[in-house]
Amino acid sequence: MSDFLRSYLTVAIFGGVAVALVGVLLGLGSFLRPSRPTATKTMAYESGVDPVGDMWSQSNIRYYVFALMFVLFDVEAVFIFPWAMRLETYGYFGLVEMAIFIFILVLGLAYAWRKGMLKWV
Amino acid sequence: MDFSAALPVADVVAFNRPAIDWHAASPELILLGFGALLTLVDVIFLDRAKQYTAALAGIGLLVTMVPILTLANDMSETGPRVMFDGAYVIDEFSLIMKAIFILSGYVVILLSTNYIAEGDYWESEYYGLMLSAILGMVVMASSRDLISIFVAFELLSIPSYMLATWKKRSLESNEAGLKYYLMGVFASAIMLYGMSLLFGASGETILTKVNASLSSDPLTGESLSSSTPVLTLAVIFVIVGFAFKVSAAPFHNWAPDTYSGAPIPVTAFLAVASKIAGFVALVQLVFVGFYARADVFQPLMWILAAASMIIGNLIALRQTDIVRLMAYSGVAQAGFILAPLAVAGDVGDQALASIVSYLAIYAAMNLGAFAVILAAARKTGSTSIESMNGLFSYAPGLAVAMTIFMFALAGIPPLGGWFAKFQIFFAVVEQGGTWAIILGVLLAVNSVIALYYYASVARRIWADQAPDGDLTPIRIPPSLGAALVLTVVATLVFGFLPGAVSQFTDVGLIAGG
Amino acid sequence: MLLNQFLLLAAVLFCLGVYGVITRKNGVMVLMSIEMILNAVNINLVAFGAFNGTPIGSVFALFVIAVAAAEVGIGLAIVLLIYRNKKSIDFSEVDILKG
Repeated sequence: MSDFLRSYLTVAIFGGVAVALVGVLLGLGSFLRPSRPTATKTMAYESGVDPVGDMWSQSNIRYYVFALMFVLFDVEAVFIFPWAMRLETYGYFGLVEMAIFIFILVLGLAYAWRKGMLKWV
Repeated sequence: MDFSAALPVADVVAFNRPAIDWHAASPELILLGFGALLTLVDVIFLDRAKQYTAALAGIGLLVTMVPILTLANDMSETGPRVMFDGAYVIDEFSLIMKAIFILSGYVVILLSTNYIAEGDYWESEYYGLMLSAILGMVVMASSRDLISIFVAFELLSIPSYMLATWKKRSLESNEAGLKYYLMGVFASAIMLYGMSLLFGASGETILTKVNASLSSDPLTGESLSSSTPVLTLAVIFVIVGFAFKVSAAPFHNWAPDTYSGAPIPVTAFLAVASKIAGFVALVQLVFVGFYARADVFQPLMWILAAASMIIGNLIALRQTDIVRLMAYSGVAQAGFILAPLAVAGDVGDQALASIVSYLAIYAAMNLGAFAVILAAARKTGSTSIESMNGLFSYAPGLAVAMTIFMFALAGIPPLGGWFAKFQIFFAVVEQGGTWAIILGVLLAVNSVIALYYYASVARRIWADQAPDGDLTPIRIPPSLGAALVLTVVATLVFGFLPGAVSQFTDVGLIAGG
Repeated sequence: MLLNQFLLLAAVLFCLGVYGVITRKNGVMVLMSIEMILNAVNINLVAFGAFNGTPIGSVFALFVIAVAAAEVGIGLAIVLLIYRNKKSIDFSEVDILKG
């Protein structure tokens, strides 16, 4: 058996032990504890308030627009971090480059604002 | 192995300020500026901006042509201009392609003005997105690096997804956009996987360096750079990614649906500019990146070319919608353009020149055909093939134009298409091998099949009765008329004076940088 | 060799992603499968970059991440549009265009 596979054998054994341990403990628990369910007991716990609707309720579609914009502006930051790490090395050249980049991003934000995307209608 | 030495530590890599050739970069910068300006105008003036955006986009494209012409003028003295260690090259090939992209973008904007304004949708984003897609294409024409090819590819694809979905309340347009999006994103993901393997095999992203490291003897050494299965997989994945973009069979399924669901000007844009951009990327990859490994890419190109021609033409024969007919004929045309790539390793210059002239002529005649379809649909309101019936009886000008485009697409001399097809055929047969000859025969047979359906459209126009006997003439708005005149003139000039096009398209092998 | 494990993981992710794109009918699931392929690409790029001792791999991965966000943004917008018009995001029901 190669080194490559042997190192995975350890992982497999570890995984097997973990699954077995959890299974034994949970099985033991369900064997020992009394089980007398009532409607109130099986109700989902929502901070002590009576739950509204079922678990798979659909979130309002308007959230998606915000989520979408968050993802876009959030991810564009990946270009800013490397620049910020070496701010001094890149000097004015980097500063101007980043200014152009951020200008285009701000243009996008201004666009979203003017088209009423930031308002909760 | 030890990774600690490999991690790029901040103070290891010294920063050299890259030299920027402002003249060479000016077309891209101007386009970017106009794109930002359009957004700014939209943001500031909102509704009042509507009437100016189309004109502004058109002016932007025309202004962009100025530095391209001055660069072309300087080219004989300066030679290819290389930037960023060879990642970005401005040579004859890239200038010709940029001019084709900008001019076809201009024609598409001419087609769009009335269509979009009458469609009751917001206009300013439309032109802004169009400009960024064209910017992506212009960048693509100069990219000689995997990362810039990827970024250019996405820059031209992402706006196109939105443009295809433009009629946002129409389910057809939604579906067109969805299919285009899914196929495009899937293709780009596959292409990226191929690129990552290519980067792994060569350790480089600049195409000339990729080529250099791939061309080392595959029989010596055990290093990854010489491992042929990985390399083959990488090349296949990358080429398949672009095969989706150019709608080559068997990756063409999205094209007919997207073309028929999208707004017609956008369809013209996808069928011409976007497809040509895919070919530009393929040409650069094949001629600069993989050129040393003709044994890997040539068989693949052969299969793609043959399959596209046969499948595209056979399915086109039984289409009842003129836009779907154009979509399948576009698949067949893609096969024609791919054919020289199957012999590119042996007849490099000639294959490249034939592809470039085909692309130039293809842009003119296809845009023209879509302009006529758009004009006819203004009256009939449909794109079924019957809507072409009797076009001559109420719109003789359009009928003549459509006939010219159909026969040019079919390759009847003396119209533009014949010269293009002839050059492709000649380049393929020049190689002389058995497989090349078979491909040549396929080219000839498929030209005949294509003639059948193109001619049947022409027959409907001249011989059939107009539907319902309605002979009211079509009112053609000036911008649409200008687009028609431009494309007719280009198709005729390319046909009667093939020297004019070959003089421009007779480029040497692409400068790698 | 350490490189093989990364490539293996990436290949598995890639295959799962392709499988998901082909078999899933739910719009959001298809988008997630595509993300999976892109993550396979990123693993490949970073692993190869470290193996070859160049930062280019990581730079490429950054571009992939940024562009993937834009792509998924457009994808979600299209899915939203279809939901508004059809009240469903089952892609197998989006089939008006045929022929």
